[in-house]
Amino acid sequence: MTNSNRKTSARKPSKQPRWWPKYLLRFMLLGTVAVALWCVWIDYEIRRDFSALQWALPARIYARPVELYVGAHQNAADFNDYLRRLGYIQTARVTEPGQFNPAGSRVVLQTRGFAFWDGTEPSIAVEVGFDGQRVSLLRAIQGGADVPLVRLEPVEIAQINPGTGEDRLPIGKDEIPEALVNAVIAVEDQRFYTHYGVDPIGIARAFVANIRAGEIVQGGSTLTQQLVKNLYLNREQTLRRKIEEALMALALEIHFSKEDILYAYLNEVFLGQDGSRAVHGFALAAQHYFGRPLQQLDLDELALLAGLPRGPSLYNPQRNPERATERRNVVLARMAAQGYITAEEFEEARGAALQVSARPTSRGGGYPVFMDMVRSDLARDYDADALRNEGLRIFTTLDVSMQAAVEATLDKSVAAVERPTKGEPAPLEAAVVITDATTGDVRALAGSRQSGYTGFNRALLADRPIGSLVKPAVYLAALESGNFNLASVLADDPISMKLDNGDLWEPKNYENTTSGDVYFHDAMERSLNLATVDLGMKVGVDRVAYMLSRLGHTDNIEPYPSILLGAVNMTPVEVAQIYQTLASGGFRSPLRAVEAVTTGEGQPLERYGMETDQVADPASVFLLEYAMQGVFERGTAKTAAPRLDNQLPLAGKTGTTNDSRDSWFAGYGDDLVGVVWLGHDDNRETGLTGATGALRVWTDIMLELDIQQRQSLPPADIEWQSVALRPVRVAEARNCLETRSLPFRAGSLPDPAVSCENNGSLMERVFDRFRGW
Amino acid sequence: MMKSVWLILILGLLTACTGNMGRGIPAPVESRGQVIRTPPSVPVQPPVVGRVIEPIVESPARPVEVMPPATQSTPEPIRPSNPTSPVSALMASVDTAVAAGQLEQAAALCERALRISPRDGYVWFRLASVRFQQQRYADADGFARRALSFAGSDRGLVQATDSLLAQIAVAQRSR
Repeated sequence: MTNSNRKTSARKPSKQPRWWPKYLLRFMLLGTVAVALWCVWIDYEIRRDFSALQWALPARIYARPVELYVGAHQNAADFNDYLRRLGYIQTARVTEPGQFNPAGSRVVLQTRGFAFWDGTEPSIAVEVGFDGQRVSLLRAIQGGADVPLVRLEPVEIAQINPGTGEDRLPIGKDEIPEALVNAVIAVEDQRFYTHYGVDPIGIARAFVANIRAGEIVQGGSTLTQQLVKNLYLNREQTLRRKIEEALMALALEIHFSKEDILYAYLNEVFLGQDGSRAVHGFALAAQHYFGRPLQQLDLDELALLAGLPRGPSLYNPQRNPERATERRNVVLARMAAQGYITAEEFEEARGAALQVSARPTSRGGGYPVFMDMVRSDLARDYDADALRNEGLRIFTTLDVSMQAAVEATLDKSVAAVERPTKGEPAPLEAAVVITDATTGDVRALAGSRQSGYTGFNRALLADRPIGSLVKPAVYLAALESGNFNLASVLADDPISMKLDNGDLWEPKNYENTTSGDVYFHDAMERSLNLATVDLGMKVGVDRVAYMLSRLGHTDNIEPYPSILLGAVNMTPVEVAQIYQTLASGGFRSPLRAVEAVTTGEGQPLERYGMETDQVADPASVFLLEYAMQGVFERGTAKTAAPRLDNQLPLAGKTGTTNDSRDSWFAGYGDDLVGVVWLGHDDNRETGLTGATGALRVWTDIMLELDIQQRQSLPPADIEWQSVALRPVRVAEARNCLETRSLPFRAGSLPDPAVSCENNGSLMERVFDRFRGW
Repeated sequence: MMKSVWLILILGLLTACTGNMGRGIPAPVESRGQVIRTPPSVPVQPPVVGRVIEPIVESPARPVEVMPPATQSTPEPIRPSNPTSPVSALMASVDTAVAAGQLEQAAALCERALRISPRDGYVWFRLASVRFQQQRYADADGFARRALSFAGSDRGLVQATDSLLAQIAVAQRSR
């Protein structure tokens, strides 16, 4: 056969054309097989992928919610801002969740309720009254009874997105309002329930309508085709893609119910852009545009949403309210024409005024500095994939009002203290940490003077020498040893010390002067270096290093004498941990940014409860705090006292490092601990001390935050005794005409040389009086 | 001679005034031409802080709660109760959560109460006892010690906390 063919073709070349019908036939056969295989493959793919369809859901990060109760620290303006952040709509009459009506110092609102990790907060309509910075009234609208406590919804501060940037709120099939389904079908695919995924009649109708109008006014794609396109195909407009889309739509219709397809469409469709976040699905769109759950929307609002898939940007009701209203009315007209609504319903909905939530159009840079801390805390328990895809809810400790106040203050405050430098383009930089003085919750963070800065996070990463901020650890170790009290006399005299490596160490006071004999508390208040070295060497450098680790410093510290003056590096957050322990009276509570993690449905997964550990003796901490309050009254922070008149007493400490490269201040009141660092990334001089730089910025911020004055409870074994105002080492030199009353622990009373408490007989006091003359 | 006696007497009276005028109320002193207010900035006991730990007043006594392990129980100090105060409302929810065995939720409610009233020794005590029931003894110990630091002269709270601390110590030793 083969041979004969060869011969034939060799002999009769004129008959060559006869081969092509046969090859064509084969080619067609092969083509049919290929198309059939393609169909089978598409069918397989659709069945596999659609039945396993799961939305990749971003993790949502929430700030600490506002809690309302009589006496709560909150003013009307901030509270109204908070409600707007939550997308509450201002109305003259509050009838639904998510509405508020502010009137001067009163606000009526209805909360939406929220599924917190520790239980569900119900929706409630309340009247809130404010008296300056405090809540003075909290009353239920229904019944008018006083309500002890209301927790609002938390602000969502960030999302950890899937790579696509898509965000959605999936809802159950039974939660979708019927009117929405009707509206979508009326406007997008009126023969949805009768076609098989592709609708030739619909295509023909669209074709005619478009020819008549001279432009594209209708699309011929069914909802099924749109879903397939969004889920599985790219945007290219080729014939092959169109065929693929039609085949997939058919396959989908063969294997899945109309209800499944519609449900997937309603959750999938793209309905708007919010910064870097793509708003998908009607449930999220309802929240985004109206600030309310889908189930609570009225017909006109549902119709507006149903009109969005055609042009989410064009018909965006926040940006283009007129076009959005026109489009809404087209949807309503279609619904009326197809019998989904009555003429009365149509008229009523068409007349409804457009009322969208006044969300900030851009979510801005968010909270990158705080989010770094959240991510690093979460990294202990969650991998990146779980955070991006599983729709976790993460409850954090951030206080959005406080964060806003810090950001609003910081840049101009730093600019006010910055020294002009020649030819140095990089400005002075800053970091701020604000924590709750009791719990260690991180309430605000700044890693740069610019808000929203996403570069080097100085709050977490700038590891700098802390200078005199270390001194409280030295003095606390001394008080705890039992060998020192606030009236112990220290020598603020020149020191020259040979170190182990043979170097000579000759520390100096900041002003290069010496004060001779000084009281313990005075040396701390005035931050005297030489007296501190005198004290620290007597206490033992290793005990000071140990105290630092007890207060919360986790790195290993080599016990060199130079640590007594702060030659130890810490980040601002690490400093805040140490001062938080002091503010808690010697109880260390690890700083925390994340409180709990739940699934998207609210099931608790992880809880990071408050911890506390007593690491220092309360009496010693109390005595130390006397001196740290003295820093404001008599010491290095005295310059800030006039501005803080309503806030004092407060406790704090300035810190300056060599050649004023770092300017620090750390301090606390009853409610807050604040740490401020100023410096340059390249470590050059700032020309600022702790007092001329960081203290001023700290004061600006704390006035803005209305820090509460410090009122510490003296432990039982504390008593007050008078000592001579001037320190002396021998009783003969003592002058009890000028005294100061200081707290002492019962077992460690002042040395008789300085004590003016019940000292000696009447005659001795008389002699004191003569000495005074 | 009489003049000298008078001088000594007057001087004696004057000096008696200068040194110490009684605990906590020292006389003002002068130094470097500047008046120094010597009453220390740290308040003298008892302090007045936002939420004062009030003395125990008559209020309906709550039944003493039995905590697991069943053999151990801690006397529950009675917190002065005001139904409209947020902390009282939260403490009532704590009781409900504990009764329902939802101890982590109870702890969370205590933490909420502490954010409102950080110096309320009763709340610290309650948090300590919840952690004790959860057998988280190190945390229980820390919270109980903080309760003590805010107990002041409230003998009922001090006794209850001391007793809880003793139970914690026993439980920790038997681990």
